[in-house]
Amino acid sequence: MRIVVGMKWVPGTTSVRIDPKTGTLIREGVPSIVNPHDMPAVELSLRLKDKYKGEVIAISMAPPPALKGLEYLIGMGVDRGILVSDRAFAGADTLATSYVIAKTIEKINREIGKVDLVIFGQETIDSSTAHIGAQTASWLNWPYIYYVHDAKFVDSKFVVERVLEDAVEEWEVELPAIIATHMKALKPRPVRLINKIRYKVEKPIMTWTNAELKLDPRCIGLKGSPTIVSKTVNVPEVPRKKIVYTPKSGEDAAKWIIETLMKDDKASKVLMKYLSMEGEAQ
Amino acid sequence: MSSIPTRFDVVVVGAGPAGSAAAYLLAKKGFSVLLVERGKGLGDKNMFGGKVYAQPIREVWPELDKEAPIHRWVTKERISMVDGEKVLTVEYRTEKKVSFVTYLTQLTQWMIKKAEGAGALLASEVTVEEILMRDNRVVGIRSGPDVIEADAVIDAEGVNRLLLERLGLVKKLDPDTVGLGVKEVLKVGEGNIESRFGLDKKEGLAWAIVGDITKGIPGGGFIYTNKDTVSMGLVLHLSKKLLDEGSFEGHVSSLIEGFRLHPYFKPYWKDAIISEYGGHLTITDAIKFAPSRFAYPGLLIAGDAAGLLLSLGYTFRGVDYAVYSGKLAADAVEYARNNGGVNYENLQVYDDYIRKSFMYEEIMRHRGAITLMNSFELMSKYPKLLTKVMEKMFEAEYKHEVIYNSLLQALKEEGISPFNLISQAFMMVKGI
Repeated sequence: MRIVVGMKWVPGTTSVRIDPKTGTLIREGVPSIVNPHDMPAVELSLRLKDKYKGEVIAISMAPPPALKGLEYLIGMGVDRGILVSDRAFAGADTLATSYVIAKTIEKINREIGKVDLVIFGQETIDSSTAHIGAQTASWLNWPYIYYVHDAKFVDSKFVVERVLEDAVEEWEVELPAIIATHMKALKPRPVRLINKIRYKVEKPIMTWTNAELKLDPRCIGLKGSPTIVSKTVNVPEVPRKKIVYTPKSGEDAAKWIIETLMKDDKASKVLMKYLSMEGEAQ
Repeated sequence: MSSIPTRFDVVVVGAGPAGSAAAYLLAKKGFSVLLVERGKGLGDKNMFGGKVYAQPIREVWPELDKEAPIHRWVTKERISMVDGEKVLTVEYRTEKKVSFVTYLTQLTQWMIKKAEGAGALLASEVTVEEILMRDNRVVGIRSGPDVIEADAVIDAEGVNRLLLERLGLVKKLDPDTVGLGVKEVLKVGEGNIESRFGLDKKEGLAWAIVGDITKGIPGGGFIYTNKDTVSMGLVLHLSKKLLDEGSFEGHVSSLIEGFRLHPYFKPYWKDAIISEYGGHLTITDAIKFAPSRFAYPGLLIAGDAAGLLLSLGYTFRGVDYAVYSGKLAADAVEYARNNGGVNYENLQVYDDYIRKSFMYEEIMRHRGAITLMNSFELMSKYPKLLTKVMEKMFEAEYKHEVIYNSLLQALKEEGISPFNLISQAFMMVKGI
């Protein structure tokens, strides 16, 4: 089977700081990484390839430094990578991004071979929208299953397992399909030396710009993005008061919490506001 | 997968200065070279104080001065003796381009790029788990399930020699032979570097500090001025005694903080923010640390792994030694190829190359330094004595003592006989 797996090259957000004046991320000097939530998707694609043969193609819409990320995935065992990269794609929201990705998948389908399955991660650590899988499926009109932690063929039918809070569901899916893995679904395999050597010797990477994809400029990049960020608010960290109270009973605990909050100017106002709203609702 | 090579002329383990230099020269000489590095970012795994001696590196890369990421050429060398809040500082100024300050990550990346440009195949983010032996000869390496064969393996794995330990060629790390380097990079700002340290643009300062800045632990402190930051830190000699007795109570972080907040040094990095911090092992006793041989059948050991680091207390040479040993390893492989093949008999010349090199001579010549660095006299007694002499000379409200009497009085107060002082000072000078 031919599997396409999506990768986003993101700033390692543990080291990202926010500019308190503009409310935007300070990306300067922050090293980028493969979006960690994409790793279970890559691992699942490789497990399916191990079992059913075929090839795995990693795709990423990003500026050229993302090649480092594709190199890592090829090191894990992905067969080749396609970097979809053009200034015209810059500034895209999830709609415009998923459009480019859907068109990339169609081009793979036409020119490289039939795509059976597309796997994305649950979400990205730098924006957490979880839109791309669903939107790409919508563009392609393919079935989409979310929170997947395993997939296999049962009697020539493709069955995916998705985890919910307190249940595991099994879905029979018609291929081609798109699935998105659960962020803790699978532990990714390490990079292998032989794959790294292969990467350097064979350079199994293609870069597709809009010259190849030929997409309408009105549908891509900033122009194709209806999302507007009207305002970002930087919520400063509130220092904890570190008060410890050991209650005698549940009732005592509730009483103490209310009393303590009522003593605080801000907290008492918020509390009174909600208590009065409760009263109105009744 | 059939087109993927699984055999190279040479495999180099570790893309630090030693490995990169060897890979660069070998690739340039036409050998097929695989350079394996476990770090994610290139140069992620190594650390140093901040200063690099240029000349040995110019032998590998004559373009060093023009192309390498050099922050500043060291024009000022300072040595300070610290006793509590009292400090005695000596400064030397030169204009010769002998050593420079930089970030090792940047310099290593530059060297790796050179190696790749020459045709070496770099595989990063990959850990070599084993150096493979067959019939008493090294035949390649293993990483996970992957085996790569080679005529020669150059081990440039650094100070933490897990591979050589596994081969049984070196013993488990002996704390008496290494020190812990801890370092902070303080963002001071470019203009401030010049005004606070009295430097011109492109001029740099290297500063060694001895005395109780390490709270009695043998070792010392260092300060280097980068482009717009200051690297400062401590080297603490480890020893079985120190580790067993737990004679130091506290944490290294409090030691380096004590240094950072010391009233004499503090103004240099006023209002700076700590932009980086790190720790790494460093070799303190090169002779004891070195493997018994530098060449084994199919295996050459270079850089820190070979113990090639000169630690004199007032200056350290590791990066240039690493590069130079990488060069000698490449020379040895080339010699072997031109003299009947890359086999043990021919590769053995590497052992001679190292032992006859300036590095080995220097390490042997200065072997007294380690004893001295570990001695109580240098760490505590002399800084105390000298600052006391200064105290007698300068801290006088009405009458100033003559220098000779200052010295005698200080000696008396510190319980050192003049004869002892002379003989110890003589030993000291001889040792370094």
